[in-house]
Amino acid sequence: MQDIHLRWLALAVGALAMSLLAVGLAARSGPVLGWGLAALGGEYGVLFAAEGRALDELTPVYAGAFVLVAELAFWSIERRVPAWSEPTLVERRLARLAATCIGAAGVAALVIVVSAASGGGGIALEAIGVVAAIGALALVAVLVQRSAAEVDSSP
Amino acid sequence: MTRVATSKLRVYPALAGLGLVGALALGRPELAALAAPFAVLVGVGLAFSRRPELKLHVELDRERQLEGRPVSLELELVAGTPVSRLELLLKFPEGLVTGEPFPRVLHLYSGERRELHVPIRCVHWGTYEVGEALWRARDGFGLLVFEGSVGESRWLKVYPSGEALTRLLQPLETQVFSGNQVARHRGEGIEFADLRPFTTGDRVRRVNWRATARRGVPWVNEAHPERNNDVVLFLDTFAEARRGDTGTLDLGVRAAASFATHFLKEKDRVGLVSFGGVLNWLTATSGTTQLYRIVDSLLDAEIMLSYAWKDLDVIPTRTLPPRALVIALSPLLDERTVGALLDLRARGFDLAVIELSPLPFVGEGTSETERLAYRLWLLRRDALRTRYASLGVPIVEWREGVPLDAMVEEVRAFRRHARVVRV
Repeated sequence: MQDIHLRWLALAVGALAMSLLAVGLAARSGPVLGWGLAALGGEYGVLFAAEGRALDELTPVYAGAFVLVAELAFWSIERRVPAWSEPTLVERRLARLAATCIGAAGVAALVIVVSAASGGGGIALEAIGVVAAIGALALVAVLVQRSAAEVDSSP
Repeated sequence: MTRVATSKLRVYPALAGLGLVGALALGRPELAALAAPFAVLVGVGLAFSRRPELKLHVELDRERQLEGRPVSLELELVAGTPVSRLELLLKFPEGLVTGEPFPRVLHLYSGERRELHVPIRCVHWGTYEVGEALWRARDGFGLLVFEGSVGESRWLKVYPSGEALTRLLQPLETQVFSGNQVARHRGEGIEFADLRPFTTGDRVRRVNWRATARRGVPWVNEAHPERNNDVVLFLDTFAEARRGDTGTLDLGVRAAASFATHFLKEKDRVGLVSFGGVLNWLTATSGTTQLYRIVDSLLDAEIMLSYAWKDLDVIPTRTLPPRALVIALSPLLDERTVGALLDLRARGFDLAVIELSPLPFVGEGTSETERLAYRLWLLRRDALRTRYASLGVPIVEWREGVPLDAMVEEVRAFRRHARVVRV
């Protein structure tokens, strides 16, 4: 019964994710797209809770597809002006996108392999995981902070 | 240069954080696997992003050109760092147009030199600064946007296109220097004027042998000498009527350039007075250099709003030589110009007024009151023309599309039939 309720919840979260993505694309709003993507990831999490503890071997594929959706969504809302562009620009970008998605699948596969090899972990490993997560987030926050809007006096 | 984070740079770390926290909370490594690529993407993207280093070399094939003619702009864009997506917009002032598409989106490798050939058409006279470009670049992962400007300014002078004039206005009196105009008085020259008895000092070659044979005493030919003229172009820059891209000032500048070109070609001395909010003047001299001085001065002509009362006293006396022909180019919208021109006539200057008609640039109005005001305004302008004509000043109304030659002929016709009253 709980399983059925969770599946309906996952469906609802999925519908919310689709709506937020649609609104984000229509309004060209990055934050709304972000919430849509977070809801999409949340739907995945709810499905795990519904399906039990078995490791999902298709996660790398989902990760690649998730990154693809995110990249295409942000590409759609990029500010653009009517301009003449080189014919190879779109091809290059698509190639870079494909490489990014394959790279994302690879990183996800690495994470899955490492977690499968650690076999359950224990408190120490969880503590290391928490520290690693906080450290990674802190590093990214520092990099984002350094890359915040700057006005450079040099040409 | 500015550097701005895109919304992707804010959303991806948040997604990574949420995924990692969710993975820890639920104990599911799959969520960490979904989140990790976003963190890796941000880390790699920021680590590899570099400020674009761009240089733009600009060359114009000429520094001066006539209205309506083309100019070629050669650009060489050099990238010191790789730029995955560069949007380049060349700034063109109003008055210059190009058929090349801008902005352009390019991909540049590190060290790449890209050459762009941009043909420009000079639509309107003026002095323009070209060569500066605005650019926007994105890093390879779309996390950062850089914007800046690049390029070196180059000055381009577009001279007003002149009209061909078949005949010029002749002043009432010539000057003392040699020129191409036949003077009224008599002296050494080519054009036959009269016969008179031989006096001591006359040269033998001037003896008219037929008259001498008929009369039995020596008679000599007299001729009209060729002398030059002094011409002052009086341009009114107090006010103009304008609609869209054209106005009365454009007509005045083009007419002044035409007159200057043709009078200087006839070895006359030409000066310029730009009478308006800002007073500019050039004393009358001759030669090609003077033509360039006049045209360069005309390029700076603009309407400068001013309430200060000005009359002829502000103009240096050397600028208005005695017996000079003053050709006034004015829409007669400002009382100060009207007063100055009447003052010129009162001081005995040989004056001709070419009225740059503001009527094509002014609407009649929609309401009854506006139409009534328009008709009154037209009547006032007619009265002003009558006043000038009664003082012996030829005044002709010139509209765009009518050849300047026709205006010159109207002035010549007025002078033929009017008696000039010396005041």
